[in-house]
Amino acid sequence: MVGIFIIGIIMLAAAVAVIVVRQPVHSALALVGVTLGLAMIYLILQAEFLAVAQVIVYAGAIMVLFLFVVTLLTAGKEETETKDLLSGQRWASVITGLVVGVGLAVVIATHHPTKLATSLSSSFGGLHPIGQELWGPYFLLLAGVALMLLTGAIGVLVLNRTEGTKAPRSRPLPHGVSVSDGEGESRP
Amino acid sequence: MILQIIVLVVKVLLLVGILMGGFAYVMLLERRLLGFFQLRLGPNRVGPGGMLQPIADALKMMLKEDLMPAGADPLVYRLAPVIAAFAALSVDAVIPFGAPIHLFGLTISLDIANPSIGLLIIFALSSLGVYGLVLGGWASQNKYSLLGGIRATAQIISYELAMGLSVMGVLLMAHTANLEGIVLAQKTHGWFWLPQIIPFLVFTITAIAETNRTPFDLPEAESELVAGYHTEYSGMRFALYYVAEYINMITQSGLIVTLFFGGWLGPSFLPPIIWYFIKVLIAIFVFVWIRATLPRFRYDKLMSFGWKILLPVAFIYFLGTAAFVSGVL
Repeated sequence: MVGIFIIGIIMLAAAVAVIVVRQPVHSALALVGVTLGLAMIYLILQAEFLAVAQVIVYAGAIMVLFLFVVTLLTAGKEETETKDLLSGQRWASVITGLVVGVGLAVVIATHHPTKLATSLSSSFGGLHPIGQELWGPYFLLLAGVALMLLTGAIGVLVLNRTEGTKAPRSRPLPHGVSVSDGEGESRP
Repeated sequence: MILQIIVLVVKVLLLVGILMGGFAYVMLLERRLLGFFQLRLGPNRVGPGGMLQPIADALKMMLKEDLMPAGADPLVYRLAPVIAAFAALSVDAVIPFGAPIHLFGLTISLDIANPSIGLLIIFALSSLGVYGLVLGGWASQNKYSLLGGIRATAQIISYELAMGLSVMGVLLMAHTANLEGIVLAQKTHGWFWLPQIIPFLVFTITAIAETNRTPFDLPEAESELVAGYHTEYSGMRFALYYVAEYINMITQSGLIVTLFFGGWLGPSFLPPIIWYFIKVLIAIFVFVWIRATLPRFRYDKLMSFGWKILLPVAFIYFLGTAAFVSGVL
């Protein structure tokens, strides 16, 4: 219980740092801290597979791609404060955050932790229980999500495809046309 | 309870000591072997046969000035090599390097931890290592470093997928993700390299790519990028990147041995732990051999090889293994 509080405080600090710090790479790093903290909370709850999946998927893949883009785009640039494109979004975010926070606090204050028990078994979060759930009752949903992600990946490939991609390298290109080699860059 | 904690601390210290010593002498071994492959002697001046060369190198690294470029991001610049070394060292905690031994009435298993999902933990921790590379490249504020870091990201993410798929067959055959369980399964089923020959080859290739070694050393290609992501580093921080690289090589060799060559198993005239280290040494020799033999990939070839050949091959073999194990075939 103490561990969860300590990690929670660290995660909150990291989450605030994501939106407060100026440098985008620092934001991305703070976000990595949040995902690692979440993984540790899963570990404390003995959901070891969820914890590892969290690290592999979010810290190991998604955030690395974030960093890939951020380092590529911000290298050598001085960061400048851009004007808010949506007016009033800061106030909206403050109010929403307050409402959610107060709501959560009320729920915690009025309900004893043991009353919040769900129908999940205590072993949920291990490799076997999650596998049983995903490939058993939720198989259709899993297949649906897989199809959706596949559609997204193929969509990126189709949208990125330029007309010149099929042309052999040796053929001189029309003047003013630049062909990006679609093999390396055009992956989701 | 206290005894267990003491045993654990001793095991951690031993493991870190073995890994750091292993790093120093694997590096010497590689330099000597590369020398022989290239018909020269390699470093043999310091001590008998060059045996004291790693100590001389370590002294040199520690005494060198720690430089930082003026435009660098100080926090990230200092953090990056630490992340790389941490990710490399921590992975080995779950690899068992010998059968449990009995000492003074205690049964001591020769790994730091033995979680039921050890294999996945290895993937999780080693996937963090790429942060050291990309952050070091970015924080240096140097075009060569940045290019090296970005290449490292793209390469490691691409090859991680094929690597993950290639071990799925082993997981299916052993019915467990626990590394000790995988070793023990090979006692009854035979070593997995033969039934999983193609995943074994895919795993070896991706392991070389993940450790950024020739022919996959594009992130630090010296003919194009000076030294890639660690161009600006000097002294101990530079050494930390080297520690990470060589310990990753030892780790990947250990993984190949554990997953495909029966871990510590072997004829009983030698203790299990000796068998494990002999096998790891052979794997390391193959790593060096490949480095001495093959030229570097071209970048677009690297990507198309990873995505168009390794990934589909690993996936198809995985599907076949799944069909075979579940009894469909």
